Amino acid sequence: MNNSKMWLVVKPTVGVPLFLSAVAIGSFAVHVAVLTNTSWVSDFLSGVPMGTGDQTAALERDAATAQASFDAQAMDGQAILVTLPDGTTARAVIELPKALAAAQSGTLPDG
Amino acid sequence: MSDNDPDKVWPTGLTLREAEEVHSYLIDGTRVFGVIALLAHVLVAATTPWLG
Repeated sequence: MNNSKMWLVVKPTVGVPLFLSAVAIGSFAVHVAVLTNTSWVSDFLSGVPMGTGDQTAALERDAATAQASFDAQAMDGQAILVTLPDGTTARAVIELPKALAAAQSGTLPDG
Repeated sequence: MSDNDPDKVWPTGLTLREAEEVHSYLIDGTRVFGVIALLAHVLVAATTPWLG
């Protein structure tokens, strides 16, 4: 209790609310920091099982990666290096879709 | 008029005994806050991926 003399200099009606506000603001800041830097707090608040946030984020990232577009006409027959989601790479060859000769003449078999 | 003079009138007008009384309430309140926070942290550590 060696700090009690502070109340001889700082009025309690000023010091106590200031002290409590500082604790509240600090606590609020920590909660916001944890909420923005983790996924499991927002999972908990939205009532879904923890870890769902990470899974959806991973899916969205993979979907975005898969949507890379190429100018097929210019690259027909060309091999490209593809990085798979698990980090390994694979070689893919771009082949333009070959229209069937029959389709071009419009004489497709019925049924 | 040294600091230990019981008749000294301080800026806030409180006596040393009153200052110590106010301070004791603040200390007790801080302890209660600490116990509640400790309990909350134990529960979060046990139920969330915080510590793995």
